[in-house]
Amino acid sequence: MGLITDIRDSISRSIASLFSAEDPKRIGIYGPPNAGKTTLANRIARDWTGDAIGPESHIPHETRRARRKENVEIERDGKSVTIDVVDTPGVTTKVDYTEFLEHDMEKDDAVRRSREATEGVAEAMHWLREDVDGVLYVLDSTKDPFTQVNTMLVGIIESQDLPVLILANKTDLPESNIRRIENAFPQHETIPLSALEGDNMDEVYDKIADYFG
Amino acid sequence: MPHQCTNCGRAFADGSKEMLSGCPDCGGNKFQFHPSETDASDDPDPSAEPPDPPAPESSVARTVGSAAATVRNLVGNSGTGAPDPDPQTPEETPAAPTGPESRSAPEANLPSTEDTAQSNARSEVVSPDEIPTGGWNPTDDTDAGSPDAATLSPNGSSTETDTGEERSAEDAGEDRPDLTELREELNDQFESIKVLNPGQYELNLMELYDREEYIIALQEDGRYTIQVPETWHE
Repeated sequence: MGLITDIRDSISRSIASLFSAEDPKRIGIYGPPNAGKTTLANRIARDWTGDAIGPESHIPHETRRARRKENVEIERDGKSVTIDVVDTPGVTTKVDYTEFLEHDMEKDDAVRRSREATEGVAEAMHWLREDVDGVLYVLDSTKDPFTQVNTMLVGIIESQDLPVLILANKTDLPESNIRRIENAFPQHETIPLSALEGDNMDEVYDKIADYFG
Repeated sequence: MPHQCTNCGRAFADGSKEMLSGCPDCGGNKFQFHPSETDASDDPDPSAEPPDPPAPESSVARTVGSAAATVRNLVGNSGTGAPDPDPQTPEETPAAPTGPESRSAPEANLPSTEDTAQSNARSEVVSPDEIPTGGWNPTDDTDAGSPDAATLSPNGSSTETDTGEERSAEDAGEDRPDLTELREELNDQFESIKVLNPGQYELNLMELYDREEYIIALQEDGRYTIQVPETWHE
């Protein structure tokens, strides 16, 4: 009697794990502010679902709440990979409303944006702890990748044993320096792209299917 | 070639004082440590080096890799409490400077073997004419990053009175008696987010990541809303 119960439990556990393995992987798009995370999220969502995820802006901290697009089905080589894309707020160690004043923003709006951006960083870190199965780490390839934020975030991602792809974005800009990003994170694969122009997205999708499929 | 500018690749001799005022070539202020024993082919003439970024196997990679490993170890130890099977050697931590602030603490953990150039750089004061004009000013960072919470004025412009600091502090206290107190309480309890001024925050990413509960809403008066894990309800 006990044996049969054990076997039944064991079978139902196996079935449960079988189904959970087929759940879409939740892929977090992380990186510092203004790296092009939302532009990439929108590019992926538009390419495979026709919808966008959120508004893009050249003003930092436009994304202040994590946004999710579920069941994005990416087809590669006759196979399809389904992921949930989570666009997260840019992670930083300092938020200062005066930065937004330079973008012709009123002080009250700038202070509010600053507060929301800070909440957004807290949310992004929380998602990283609890809710993502893999990470697309987006960097602006015209900027210096040797920063405390990048080192710390990539370190945390590695500590979680999460699969991660480093995306060197903004290759359409003349100052783009892919090599510098490859050097900063040699332990991970770096893929150059321009999310804005859609350059090299095929390789991005190939790698997403490889890493998160 | 113990140090190298991460921006242009210029190399500096160990203990070089040139670095202290930023890279003379590009003005960069980040340098990676490059132990001499790992680089057999030192180029004595820095100007002859091409500004190309170093190869992936170079110490840039190792430097960031070791910094990332440090974070990984920290997270691994604090998250699981499990012993780290591969503890880093003590020499690695000071060998991974990733920001300008790392230059300001040379006194910590002095290495036992220090050559003359290092001791020279540590003991001597750089004369003003050695510092290039327009270079990095060490007071910029330290002054900007330390606003005093006690000087905050909740009324904004109310500090124009010339009756002294105590007076304006009392005025502020009458309007919003516990504003500063609340903010300090927030800072004390949540080292993860420091409210410097309304709209100005400093975030401790490690703390934010480590906390099981997380701050979902901040208010300028220092109040906050947190979400606690479901297991806390039991």
